[in-house]
Amino acid sequence: MPPIIRMVNLTKKFGEFTAVDHLNLEVEEGEILGLLGPNGAGKTTTLLMLTTVIKPTEGTAFVGPYDVGQEPDKARTLIGMAFQEPKLLWVDSPWDILNWHAKVCGLSAEERKKKVRWVLEQVELWNDRLKSVHAFSGGMRKRVEIAKILIQRPKIAIVDEPTAQIDIVGKHRIWNMLRELRDEGSTILLATNELYEADVLSDRVAIMHKGKLLVCDEPKKLKDSIPGGDVVEIALEKDITTAALAKLKEIPRVVNVLTIKQNQLKIYLNQAEEVLPKITEFFMKERLQVKSIRMSEPSLDDVFAHYTGLTIEEAQRE
Amino acid sequence: MISLKKVWTVAERDIRMFLRYKFLLIMRAIWFVSQIALFGLVVNRMFRPDVQSAVGGNYFNYYAAGIIITMLYSTTVFIGYDIYEEADHGVIEYLLSVPVSRKELVLGRSIGGGLRSFLYVGPMMLFVLYLIGVSNVLQLFAALLSLFLFTFGVAGFSITLAVSIKSSDRFDILMGVIDALIVRLSTTLYPIAYMPSPYQGIASINPLTFAADLFRWGAGLESAALVPPMLAVLSIVVFFSMFTFFGIFLHERKLEGGGWQ
Repeated sequence: MPPIIRMVNLTKKFGEFTAVDHLNLEVEEGEILGLLGPNGAGKTTTLLMLTTVIKPTEGTAFVGPYDVGQEPDKARTLIGMAFQEPKLLWVDSPWDILNWHAKVCGLSAEERKKKVRWVLEQVELWNDRLKSVHAFSGGMRKRVEIAKILIQRPKIAIVDEPTAQIDIVGKHRIWNMLRELRDEGSTILLATNELYEADVLSDRVAIMHKGKLLVCDEPKKLKDSIPGGDVVEIALEKDITTAALAKLKEIPRVVNVLTIKQNQLKIYLNQAEEVLPKITEFFMKERLQVKSIRMSEPSLDDVFAHYTGLTIEEAQRE
Repeated sequence: MISLKKVWTVAERDIRMFLRYKFLLIMRAIWFVSQIALFGLVVNRMFRPDVQSAVGGNYFNYYAAGIIITMLYSTTVFIGYDIYEEADHGVIEYLLSVPVSRKELVLGRSIGGGLRSFLYVGPMMLFVLYLIGVSNVLQLFAALLSLFLFTFGVAGFSITLAVSIKSSDRFDILMGVIDALIVRLSTTLYPIAYMPSPYQGIASINPLTFAADLFRWGAGLESAALVPPMLAVLSIVVFFSMFTFFGIFLHERKLEGGGWQ
């Protein structure tokens, strides 16, 4: 089956700044593809180009058979988007917003009446349906935004950070809704900077940084693919010196050491059971008392760190 | 292929939004009443018989008809301010992402912007028509149809300026200046015969002059009209078509989400 979205050298520049840099990525029909990266990675700009809200500076993207540059009107008939920042006017009520959205998406009056009610109940806004969104919390506004794609049921649903500002119960509820949407036949392109969200929800994850695509694969394969498949997190009583850090990296089978804080390290290594005694011995020699040792499975953060040398948090700060 | 259903859906949204700006609507209505009941009445008493005859016998009627056109104009350009309000809240991006073509969007907004103004000014228009006393209903109906087109053109004009300027402050200042010039360099408030000749040239091609002429013609004040009604209608059709075309062109070729000041 041909991919339902195909980005070919997709590029967007704002003056001198390149927000998306020659992106080549395909999205298969019926999958949830997580677009993971820190803020400023170019995720939202990519999504806005796919929805034809902004125009590519170079390259293009195909949504279904339609080129977003040549046939934007047709491309939009396949897409529904829930924006990162809810796009609502203060005078609107959830009922008005969803009713109009359903109407513009072609639902009949009868269908609208049923579906708007159903969706408002699903996102727990039925009782607040006639209130102005001006009085809503960030989470409530976000739910109105998500409700738009639930009502539209588009062939391709694009969701930009759908659970930001939403509590954990709400997050699970939205994740389930997105899974249901996928099971009913929609393809979902999910932009997120939350590692756990990308991991649990995505069939495949594409990691972006500084406008470029670093890697794209199934979350498990990504995690398995990084050298130094074992991760050891060590907390020290005092800060480690640069010299000691360099020596630590030289220990055989230690693949990489990430300094989370000067006294908190994340060590990527192979065959942890053999290397760990050598590491503890090293710290004793360096007179660095170990406060705690924790072994963990590699996460998508580790995958990101493998490709960029930074955790997502650090990249976000950059 | 343009879907009329989608055009209407867009227009309907703009009409609904407008009716929520209650403060603005009340203030504009108060402005209208004061213009008619204070300014119009007082100025009417100040004019000599020769001025009165130049405007068809009664300056008050001439002025009241002109005020309706300025009301139509000023409430229709409000669609441009809506665009800034929407840009502030990101709603522009949302509108650009929905399954509506840019042509349908611009047409819908022009029609919505014009129609809502017509609905709002409608009762005031009826009041003025009652004061003037309409003699030919068919003539009035033809004039009103043309005025519909006029408001769609003004909405297209306001939309075109808003999406070109992308700064609410500059738009606000520009609209203030345009409002001062376009109203004063037209025959909405005074007859062309009393204007200095350079002003007469501008007034004779001003869409507000054509709209005011048509309304006066429809209301039975034919003698106050500057140009024949057919010419006025034609000019309004050109005005509407030009700004609808510009609006569509800008939306299709230039307009992108983001980048608004």
